[in-house]
This record gives sequence, C-alpha cells and structure tokens, in this order.
Amino acid sequence: MEIAVVGNSDFILGFRLAGIKRTYAANRDEKFVEHITTILGSDDIGILVLKGSDMERLSPRLRTTLEESVRPTVIAIGGEEGGLSMRERIKRSVGVDLWK
Amino acid sequence: MALKDVKPTRSELIGLKRKIKLSERGYNILKMKRDGLILEFFKVLEEAKNSRGSLQERYNRAVEMIAIANTFEGAIGVKAAAMSVKETPEITLKQKNIMGVVVPEIESSRVRKGLRERGYGLLGTSAVIDETATAFEELVEEIIKAAEIETTMKRLLNEIEHTKRRVNALEFKVIPELTEASTFIKMRLDEMEREELFRLKKIKAKSQKAEA
Repeated sequence: MEIAVVGNSDFILGFRLAGIKRTYAANRDEKFVEHITTILGSDDIGILVLKGSDMERLSPRLRTTLEESVRPTVIAIGGEEGGLSMRERIKRSVGVDLWK
Repeated sequence: MALKDVKPTRSELIGLKRKIKLSERGYNILKMKRDGLILEFFKVLEEAKNSRGSLQERYNRAVEMIAIANTFEGAIGVKAAAMSVKETPEITLKQKNIMGVVVPEIESSRVRKGLRERGYGLLGTSAVIDETATAFEELVEEIIKAAEIETTMKRLLNEIEHTKRRVNALEFKVIPELTEASTFIKMRLDEMEREELFRLKKIKAKSQKAEA
C-alpha cells in the first residue's frame, strides 16, 4: 500500500522528494474534494496526508468520514488537525483535560 | 414509558421484571466496556502527546528546508529533483480490534534512503536538496507513526463517548423508568386485591344479613 498526499503544489513538492508518488495537487476546493473522494474509494492507499488548514475547509460531513476512516488512515499535519482538537475531544469524552 | 400507558396486569409485571434484569445486565457490561476503553485510551495517550509534538517539529523543519532549497536551487531545480526520485515507501495496513473498535496497525518499509538511492544526479544538485529530502523522509516516518496513534485515539474517544452515553441513558433513564412502572403495577395489583377482598366481605355480610 502507498501513502497519498493532497494539497497545494507547494505542500506536495516536499513529499515527492521523500519518494511519495501519489501526490495530488489541488488548488481549488472542488478539485480537493474530488481527489479525496477518489482516494477514499481506492484500495491501494493506506495513509492519506492533508494539511490542517485544508481539512478545516472541508464540509463537516466529509471531515467526519475522514476522521473515522481506517482504510485509508487520514492524518492532518501543520497547525491544528482540523475540526475538534484532540484536547477538546478528550475533555468531551473523558470529562477531564488530560492533554497537558 | 409514561405511567398512564402501563397496564396493571400480572403478565405486564413479569415482562417488566424481565426487562429490568436485561437492562441491568446490559448496564454492567457496558460499564465494564467503558472502563476497559478508558484503560486502553490511557495506554495510547502518552504516545499520542509525544507524536503530535514531534510531528509538528519535523513538519516545521521540513517546510523551512524546502523554502531554503527553493531559494538556493530555484523552484524548477527542486521540482526536477523531486520528479526523479524513484523509490516509494511501502506500507502495510492491518486492522486491529480493541473491544469492538477497529483501529489501524501500520508497518512500513524503509523510508530513509541513501544519497545514491534517491534517483537525482548528485552533481547537478546541491547539499540543500539532500537535506530537504532527509527532512521530508523523517517527516514521512513520523507521519506513519502518528497516523496509527492518532486514528486509534480518535476512534477510542468516539467509542468512549458513545458507551458513556449508553451507560448514562440506562442508569438514569431506562432502569429508573422501568422500576417505577413495575412499582406502580405492584401497588395497583395490591390495591385491586384489597378492593376484591373488601367486595367479598361486603357480599358475605349482605348474604348473612339476608339469611337472618
């Protein structure tokens, strides 16, 4: 299985240097959603890497799908991870702020 | 269940008792599941904290390096080097089950490559490109680790929330309502029995009076 990266052309360039072939450039939101939907449907991608700020722009429904997805496992990097932060989630689920 | 909908019959009482027993059993099992999930969550919490920090650190370093590379080599130079990299990191994604929560388990092939394995010409590029490639390889290594841990955390937290909600619903809504309904039926049945006894006594007294 491979790793896929979706984002603007500056974001994906570095990943190509690390040898990742499945990089998808998306400068418009529609294109971005289109690429993500394609990746969610493909069987040969294990990890999908997105930028935190791009993740925030997605619709709540798609964001939840991405957060829940195991195959591919989705990770947002750079800044906040998009949506509810891990700290908020822990506070909500466990009732105590353990992320200190 | 509103009390006015409850039929005060013995069969209803038996049915309610059965329901209460089942709800209590479900409540105990769910409570154990919630505690188990929280224990599992504590196991990954420390790892997740460390991985988020180091992921951010490596990302910042990688972004910094690519900016430097762009300045030194120009955007086209960096792109040309990036396009010539051939070896792709391979990962194996398995699924693990923690108390009914499916979480990923990721193993990867070697991400870091030697200078000669990268594919671009060594003479045509500068050391900045190599350093940038190393920074991104390190970032990818960290991403592979963090992806597994973070998804596990997110899914565990969701499941903890659901289970907690179910436990609370059973504890504070379902079981008290069923108990209330069963108490109501018991009292109503007792009342009916007393009425019946009183009626019989009245009839007996009347018939004795008529005989006399």
